[in-house]
Amino acid sequence: MAAAVASGEVSARELLDATLARIAATDGRVNAFTDQTQARARAEADAVDAQRAASQPLGPLAGVPYAVKNLFDIEGVVTLAGSRVNRGDAAATADAFLVRQMKAAGAVLVGGLNMDEYAYGFTTENTHYGPCHNPHDLTRIAGGSSGGSGAAVAAGQVPVSLGSDTNGSIRVPASLCGVWGLKPTFGRLSRRGSYPFVHSIDHLGPLADSVAGLALVYDALQGPDALDPGCQALRVQPVMPLLGRGVEGLRIGVLGGYFHDNATPAAREIVALAASTLGAQAAVTWPDAALARAAAFIITASEGGSLHLDDLRTRADDFEPLSVDRFIAGALQPVDWYLRAQRFRRVYRDKVNALFRDWDVLLTAATPVSAPVIGTEWLDINGAQQPARASMGLLTQPISFAGCPVVTAPLWPAGTGGLPIGVQLIAAPWREDLAFRAAKCLSDAGVAHVRPVQL
Amino acid sequence: MNDTRMLAYVETMAALLKLPLDATRTQRVALNLQRTAVMAALLEAAPLAAHDELAEIYRPAAFPPNDDGRQ
Repeated sequence: MAAAVASGEVSARELLDATLARIAATDGRVNAFTDQTQARARAEADAVDAQRAASQPLGPLAGVPYAVKNLFDIEGVVTLAGSRVNRGDAAATADAFLVRQMKAAGAVLVGGLNMDEYAYGFTTENTHYGPCHNPHDLTRIAGGSSGGSGAAVAAGQVPVSLGSDTNGSIRVPASLCGVWGLKPTFGRLSRRGSYPFVHSIDHLGPLADSVAGLALVYDALQGPDALDPGCQALRVQPVMPLLGRGVEGLRIGVLGGYFHDNATPAAREIVALAASTLGAQAAVTWPDAALARAAAFIITASEGGSLHLDDLRTRADDFEPLSVDRFIAGALQPVDWYLRAQRFRRVYRDKVNALFRDWDVLLTAATPVSAPVIGTEWLDINGAQQPARASMGLLTQPISFAGCPVVTAPLWPAGTGGLPIGVQLIAAPWREDLAFRAAKCLSDAGVAHVRPVQL
Repeated sequence: MNDTRMLAYVETMAALLKLPLDATRTQRVALNLQRTAVMAALLEAAPLAAHDELAEIYRPAAFPPNDDGRQ
């Protein structure tokens, strides 16, 4: 799209009008959007067209429409973070850091997107704003907590969106909606101006309808930010120039053990297809995956519960019924559980980093299953009954807890009624470029791609 | 921990944190905490040495790139 705008094939305003028309025609069924910023979008699109008319240089995302999970600050809009509680807050006085990066690159913001309340969920069955529907089957969940971010891209409403990922909240909706997603290295992208969930695990990142688009947006989002204590990157490391380098010489493995045991046959099928396409070698054992999930669960509940304790004391009934009891239970956890989990995390990090001395990219499914029907309480995962909502993070939580970068690639197994499941392409911290190279190969081979939907 | 003791724990901790819970919510919170306790038991069994410190959160200041302390 940016190339079409730059060449004059289409104007930014024409692109925007088509985007707004698509949203108007489809969002009544998808429910991806909670806010639209049409006036701002028109101003941004017109500014791009004026730049082009004046032969001024255009940004790499000039005229590309996008939307953001509604935990990103948008100037003049209340940052809902999926909640009812925040409705009474003042409107944001400035854009989030990443929204500013997108604007600087010429992208056009069209609105805020549905999510699980305060990002504590994997399904976007939001009681306050209604469930987000999977565009490939409207009776099913879009995943979460960045469900609107996945659904908006899958529905063809926007080519790009931004989300957040603490335990899987970009990768799960990318998997269930069949779009590309990136959870960068922990500390890569600034979180300033986004509503927090778990300070010690929160990541932000993009979702897109192509791997090239994902890379382009990721490069535009990068930039050191000394004002975010969690932003550790000191310089930009663009991936676009490296995207086409292929995977020859890369040591690519498939995660076995815990990751095999918690994947259903459809999920194993797409991992096997990705593995054969990439020439992946033998099964690899990821260290302490179950312990890492337990530690991530405990830290999440504790930090999340503490963050919202004041509101839980006074207005618990205004919280999301699906998560309020978990928030309260988290606030009541013994401190030893939290401290032990944080001490474990340091040991765990060393084990994971040691693993990447032998491997460049590791593969596993992003979700154990394809999208369940909205309201599903229990899932059968290889004969074991598991709570459906929590199980969506089984395969993502151990990876984000380590802080490794992951590109989620959309694949399409047989036996799921046409529903996708994503494959996680995992690399060592700060090596997003390797995950992107593998993703590009899957895309070029036609194995991973976005499918258009009929709505 | 049995259900009765977990309920008592929830009631006590909630009172300490000035967190009002009715009986129904107390039951649900106790159920959630009981599930978390299973995960905590896994971690409890994992070996950690005395020198295994917390994952980093706090930094008093960024490490100076120069020995004279200038940024």
